[in-house]
Amino acid sequence: MDSESTHTGISRRRFLKDGILVPLALAVAGGGISTLFLRRADARGFYLRPPGALEERRFLAACIKCGKCAQACPYTAITMAGGEAGVGIGTPHIIAREFPCRLCPDIPCAKACPSGALDRKLEDVEKIRMGTAVIVDRENCLSLRGLRCEVCYRQCPLIDKAITIEPRHNPRTGVHSIMEPVIHADKCVGCGICENACVRDKPVIVVIKSPPVQKDYYEF
Amino acid sequence: MEVSRRDFLKATAAAAAFAAAGGAVLKPKLAEAAEGGIKWGKAPCRFCGTGCGVLVGVKDGKVVATKGDPAAPVNKGLNCIKGYFLAKILYGKDRLTKPLIRKGNKMVEASWDEAMTLIAGKFKESIEKHGPDSVAIYGSGQWTVFEGYAASKLFKGGIGTNNIEPNARLCMASAVTGFMTTFASDEPMGVYDDLDLGDTYFLWGANMAECHPVLFSRMIDNRLKNPKVKIIDFGTRRTRTSQMADTYIRFNPQTDLALLNAIAHVIVKEKLYDEKFIQSHVVFKKGKTNIGYGLEDKFKFVDEPKPMTFDEYKDFLKTYTPEYASKLSGVPTATIVEMARLYADKNRKVNSLWTMGFNQHTRGTWVNNLVYNVHLLTGKICRPGENPMSLTGQPSACGTAREVGTFTHRLPADMVVTDPEHRAKAEKIWGIPAGKIPAKPTYNATEMFRALDRGDIKVIWTQVTNPFQSLPNLNRYRKGARKGDGRFVIVSDMYPTKSTEVADVILPSASWVEKEGVFGNAERRTQQWFKMVDPPGEAKNDLWQTIELAKRLGHGNLFPYKYVEKEMWEEYRKFGEGQGKDMAPYEAYAKARGLRWPVVNGKETLYRYAEGHDPYVKKGEGIKFYKNKKDGGKAVIWARPYEPAPEVPDKSYPFWLCTGRVLEHWHTGTMTGRVPELKRAYPAAVCEMHPDDAKKLGIKNLQKVKVSSRRGTIILPVDLNGRGKAEKGNIFVAFFDENKLINELCIDAYCPISGEPDYKKCAVKVEKA
Repeated sequence: MDSESTHTGISRRRFLKDGILVPLALAVAGGGISTLFLRRADARGFYLRPPGALEERRFLAACIKCGKCAQACPYTAITMAGGEAGVGIGTPHIIAREFPCRLCPDIPCAKACPSGALDRKLEDVEKIRMGTAVIVDRENCLSLRGLRCEVCYRQCPLIDKAITIEPRHNPRTGVHSIMEPVIHADKCVGCGICENACVRDKPVIVVIKSPPVQKDYYEF
Repeated sequence: MEVSRRDFLKATAAAAAFAAAGGAVLKPKLAEAAEGGIKWGKAPCRFCGTGCGVLVGVKDGKVVATKGDPAAPVNKGLNCIKGYFLAKILYGKDRLTKPLIRKGNKMVEASWDEAMTLIAGKFKESIEKHGPDSVAIYGSGQWTVFEGYAASKLFKGGIGTNNIEPNARLCMASAVTGFMTTFASDEPMGVYDDLDLGDTYFLWGANMAECHPVLFSRMIDNRLKNPKVKIIDFGTRRTRTSQMADTYIRFNPQTDLALLNAIAHVIVKEKLYDEKFIQSHVVFKKGKTNIGYGLEDKFKFVDEPKPMTFDEYKDFLKTYTPEYASKLSGVPTATIVEMARLYADKNRKVNSLWTMGFNQHTRGTWVNNLVYNVHLLTGKICRPGENPMSLTGQPSACGTAREVGTFTHRLPADMVVTDPEHRAKAEKIWGIPAGKIPAKPTYNATEMFRALDRGDIKVIWTQVTNPFQSLPNLNRYRKGARKGDGRFVIVSDMYPTKSTEVADVILPSASWVEKEGVFGNAERRTQQWFKMVDPPGEAKNDLWQTIELAKRLGHGNLFPYKYVEKEMWEEYRKFGEGQGKDMAPYEAYAKARGLRWPVVNGKETLYRYAEGHDPYVKKGEGIKFYKNKKDGGKAVIWARPYEPAPEVPDKSYPFWLCTGRVLEHWHTGTMTGRVPELKRAYPAAVCEMHPDDAKKLGIKNLQKVKVSSRRGTIILPVDLNGRGKAEKGNIFVAFFDENKLINELCIDAYCPISGEPDYKKCAVKVEKA
């Protein structure tokens, strides 16, 4: 508990620091410059936002960088982005490898949001969509090499929904099965617990920006 | 035999031990040169009873890598995630490297000489004042064969006390008494090959997916290849195993006794049994009923077996109608009938597999007997692909605890101290005066720590185990250890644990490939490894520690060996020779990736009691349970009734508590807890609970709850949708977490026949914390 409160303290301090920086950044940024900043933020990569966050551009516009969501998080998972985030400086995000979102049933972070950047009406954790987990490095995934790891699967809070195990024959030994963790994008909430739990030095499963839903009429 | 270790290594071409990846045998020099100066040696995994083979990579005196051994028949190059991180268990930051002696409330560094002088002095003083039964050793199913053998020889043959027990009493004792009462010989008839060859698998109280991971993937592969394969999981908790099984059958705790009798009932009623097999190979017996629970100190029980006829057994089964069993167990009548028919299906090769659900049971011996009954009625036993198989939890529960016989009542090779001929044989092999080994067993594990609490045992030495986290009703025994009044606790371990907390002396131990050893796995496979690296600091092999005490107590003559391990092995295997427990000469194990006993004329045995496989079965005998001489070479079907658990949920304590393991951690977490990757993967224990129960109590997922039994309380977060899904009215907590001592809540009731406690059932309440 002690370490948790310390961490909250840090993010609060950082928030205060950011609180000074942010208006400065805004003041400096004119129209063209702000687009530049936005581009830079996008290029920097994907920010895992707290549950119920609006689409990234709208989120950036709506978030007032007050840090209330970070304060509400009992797991110190939400931290405020630093200068590297460009215009997103001071916005809340989650570094899953350090502290993933634990999917609190009452979603206190979203409830605490005064600006609407996070959806306060969100009730069901299974409806959260922060991102989607993907095995990005199949070569280094121990489960795919036939070892009985599957830590990502067993630690998944939506076990058997967001991640399932699909066994297939392991031709290397001839008598064992490879237990392949398969991620189901329609169920994955992007909490990052799998990314956090992965036993490799560089996690082979990470949360990325959810791919857009592509409409088609092919039902099979 | 005067062979030095050096000569031996030369003679057996240590090469065999240092094999390159891929299993090819290279000479040591070549192996050293290979792969960037990493030298590879073979060893069995340090964790569970599966006994996976690993290749251990050594460079600059350190284990730098391990990998599954492709030449090992058990795992063919695979490991689970614990096995993957084996190298790291040796290098935790807080490794014990110096002996520590308690001075007041502080543990102070000491030399080995100081520590051993103090220990020997305490032993001598206690023996002089209170007799040899006031000193004890508590070891492990993780003891190497040598460590267990030396401890047994010193305590039984030197000091003259039967105060020796392994932690295997907490994990395998009911399997032992099950085997002994049914077949008069310990350990299974089948082998892991049955996982490839069978088509029907009944799992009872076994979460194989997490607790025997590599074996589980083998059984699943069998199903991928053969659509006929069916896996049926009988359990009280929905596990990862249930998830992958074809059928999950939930039953109320303790009612496995009724279910197995009901299955036998249907088999008998519908005449699905194998009449010829029964006539040739089976006798029927009954024992005492209403046998108690071992809850009171100094509990004693002796069974009185009485023969019965098949007809009398049929009468006994009349009570166990599917309807009756259904009412008790909650399993639908039709399911029970269906399962009985599946067990008896002449076109199916049926296997039963079980672990702690059966063994940690106040009627553990009975429920082991009952599963054999079904296999004996149907004749589905001792054949490739159809066998009952008790899976073990520890790497040498079989090899050391059971085969060496490091229990209070046992001697090597299934012998017992109560039999004068067995004692005489042991005394002869050990070269000690006749009458030296006491004829009376003293304490089972639980009773041993009760005796420490009472003060009947003054000096106790624990090796390779962590009883002060793993005992049930833990509070009593932790307090008992620190009551003073002459009590003296010695703990040998590689890391600080909950047990070193209560120790008067802590001895730093070598672990795994820091010493030479032999383990025996669940399929009778004996596996040897050489020492590959030095232990850190002044840490020393437990074998050395035991022999050092022997010398200081004047029993050094019991260990006259030059190359200790090899000569001790050759002495030890005299016990099993010609007894159906034959072991090969030491050099055979140095070369092989394990051999399954009995090993006769250099050949291992796959199927015990079966003609063509087991050299002890004569031509024309087919199947012969030759170890059960008093019943004419037949196995026993036991009439064992259903009896309730000692503590059942009530108004004040409305939930059943079950404890167990997770894949990422081993036992009390002292090794896996030091591997950052495993700790990250599963950092702390949680309380699994059914969402409906939680809702009634107003508890939300992840919320902290207070779980209490009549013996203790812990606070931990609730998990409503985890890897294990508790059934209504049940909760589950894993026992690896040293910050959440769930064993404080468990009841220290045990099976009166096996002495094994029940960690799977006691009554608790759950409240918001």
